[in-house]
Amino acid sequence: MDLLGFARGPALKVALAVFCLGVVWRIVGFVLLRIRRDLNKPRASALRYLGSGLLAVGTRSWPHREFIARTGPGEALGYSYHIGLFVMVLLFTPHIVFIGGLLGFTWPGLPSSFITVVSVLTLTLFLAVLFRRVTHPVIRMLSNFDDYFSWFVTMLVIVTGLAATAHLGARYETLLGLHILSFDLLLVWFPFGKLMHAFYLVPSRAINGALLARKGAVS
Amino acid sequence: MTHGRVELLGEVLLRHGISRRSFIKYCTAAASTLALPPGMGAVMAEQLRQAPRPSVVYLSFQECTGCLESLTRSFSPTIESLIFNTISLDYDDTLMAAAGEAAEAARTKAMKDSFGKYVLVVDGSVPTGAGGGYCTAGGRSSVDILREAAKGAAAIVCVGTCSAFGGIPLADPNPTDAWPVGAIVGDKPIINVSGCPPIPEVITGTLLQFVTTGKLPDLDQHRRPKAFFGNTIHDRCYRRPFYDQGKFAKSFDDEGARNGWCLFELGCKGPTTYNACATIKWNGGTSFPIESGHTCIGCAEPGFWDKGSVYSALSTAAWGKSGESRPLEVLELGGAAATVGAVIGAGSAGMSRLRQHRAEHPSNNEPKDG
Amino acid sequence: MERLSRLADIPIRLEAAPADGGLGGGVTALLTELATLLERFAVAQESAAIDLRSLPMGPQDRVLLQRALGEGEVRATIDAEGVSTIRETRIGGVWWVEHRDRDGELIAELLEVTRVPAILASAPDEIAAGGRALREQIAATAAHAPLPPVRNLDVGAR
Repeated sequence: MDLLGFARGPALKVALAVFCLGVVWRIVGFVLLRIRRDLNKPRASALRYLGSGLLAVGTRSWPHREFIARTGPGEALGYSYHIGLFVMVLLFTPHIVFIGGLLGFTWPGLPSSFITVVSVLTLTLFLAVLFRRVTHPVIRMLSNFDDYFSWFVTMLVIVTGLAATAHLGARYETLLGLHILSFDLLLVWFPFGKLMHAFYLVPSRAINGALLARKGAVS
Repeated sequence: MTHGRVELLGEVLLRHGISRRSFIKYCTAAASTLALPPGMGAVMAEQLRQAPRPSVVYLSFQECTGCLESLTRSFSPTIESLIFNTISLDYDDTLMAAAGEAAEAARTKAMKDSFGKYVLVVDGSVPTGAGGGYCTAGGRSSVDILREAAKGAAAIVCVGTCSAFGGIPLADPNPTDAWPVGAIVGDKPIINVSGCPPIPEVITGTLLQFVTTGKLPDLDQHRRPKAFFGNTIHDRCYRRPFYDQGKFAKSFDDEGARNGWCLFELGCKGPTTYNACATIKWNGGTSFPIESGHTCIGCAEPGFWDKGSVYSALSTAAWGKSGESRPLEVLELGGAAATVGAVIGAGSAGMSRLRQHRAEHPSNNEPKDG
Repeated sequence: MERLSRLADIPIRLEAAPADGGLGGGVTALLTELATLLERFAVAQESAAIDLRSLPMGPQDRVLLQRALGEGEVRATIDAEGVSTIRETRIGGVWWVEHRDRDGELIAELLEVTRVPAILASAPDEIAAGGRALREQIAATAAHAPLPPVRNLDVGAR
């Protein structure tokens, strides 16, 4: 079996299985944790504070005015590369076809040359993000293996994807095989590192918002 | 046949009514196809004319004869097929008039007379199952015939994916235990001209280049001439602008297909297939599969029959017997994994709760924490 | 929507031909190469050729190239397994060679920079064989009917 066949075949099958297993493990793991009973009197009705929680997902998406000067650039950088990633992953036809083959439905994509431009921009932003992590004293101090490895694993997928499109460095089928294999690695790592923020983000903001609203603090 | 002196190709050509100038013309055209410098055509013509008539022995084993048909059914009878069929071909059991023992005698004589110098062209794979009994000629297995013929060959040209890589017979489950020629013969230079079938001009161009220079052309890692197999179909496809613009046909004969859009979503294997179909094309440059509206099936690549469905796109997942992954299979896999994950998750949450419970309600044996 | 499934059907917007004397970029490059080859021939007597089929030329480029090179005084056809046409262009030393097969399909097309394309010339071995063949022909015809004696054209006999 050649590299490409292995990457799209057994490797992908195992990676998807590990991904599903891991994600469900971690979600079920935290959902079933004991919730400490709050014996205070709620300051708002359940409906209000739960609704507030959901609202918080939106309102906490951007820093308060006072903090924008300090944290704005970092946030903007983060948003930019996330948007770039979503465009690359979800609007490039070969990717759409890939997901469609797994889930059974597809959607229209964007011109492939446009995606190439977005990919190069995202790659640049990714490098900027690493630079920031390494040069900003506080962030560097807080960074651990998870931070660097998650960055590396995502970066690898982007780099191999661009190399495959540009036919750079090896024969096309080898590059495509490496790209899919790096995606397999991403899938396997996903549930066990900070990439899980994709699933945790909404629930954690909602819960924080709801708890604060219950205490009467509006965020 | 002249007595004693070896006959030159130029003399043979003249006897068959091919003048020096027609030969120069043909060689100029062939040099263009081979992407050689334009002056090389005349040089090639002169070298070939002064060279002894090249001898070719053509052996067919486990094949469908498609490769020979491709070679001989040229769109218009060109000099190359004339050279190949009439002049050079000392043995081909399909084309030659002789049959049976007379034919075998012709083969043995050709191999003896040109020992060490003839080009051995092989199509079809070689089955080794049942002691080689799945493919025999004149009571001998193809394995034996091949090994004997290879001994006196200057080089072996494997025409077609079957002889180059095993092709259809080698595909799962390979009931006859078929092998490519390269797996049976290890000590002779081999050129693989793969394809199912290969383009006729690619076959004759390769033979011509070898016969003229006496050297192997530049070969890729699958021993295919880079002159013809150096680029993918995707890199030379005229529909490439549509791929770049994101315009794909979603099903055969839909609007996109009728507009000639890219066939990637329909399973085209162009990006991973190396061949000259997009440039030289078929039937004298008439068309090629993609231009006719069908996806490339990757027929010049090793093991292409076992690489999953012809109609599933290159970027799709491909596990399972048919090489396709349907949503149902994925759902089953995901569901099973998720169930296991849920159990483990519940387990870990349970352990956390247990720890918290123990911390709040220490047993009587344990000292109370301060 | 009209059926568009052949390369020739895809509508190509031809850039307007530049005003008289102007040329497209591709043709200019080709002409520059020809000029270089001509200069090299003038110095080193080295013939050269450009394979036109190896260059991506749109229909507009061909027209521009033909217009730029023009027609010379010489036009030759070779009838050998199809017709080949050899035309001298307006540019001395540049010959446009087209080879066609028996069905009229273009199988090769070159621009040769040379005194005269080699394919036109007779080969030395052909000339030697021709001499022999002509002697034999003379002998054969003499055997049947004697030819009138050849007049002795002595230079001083006039």
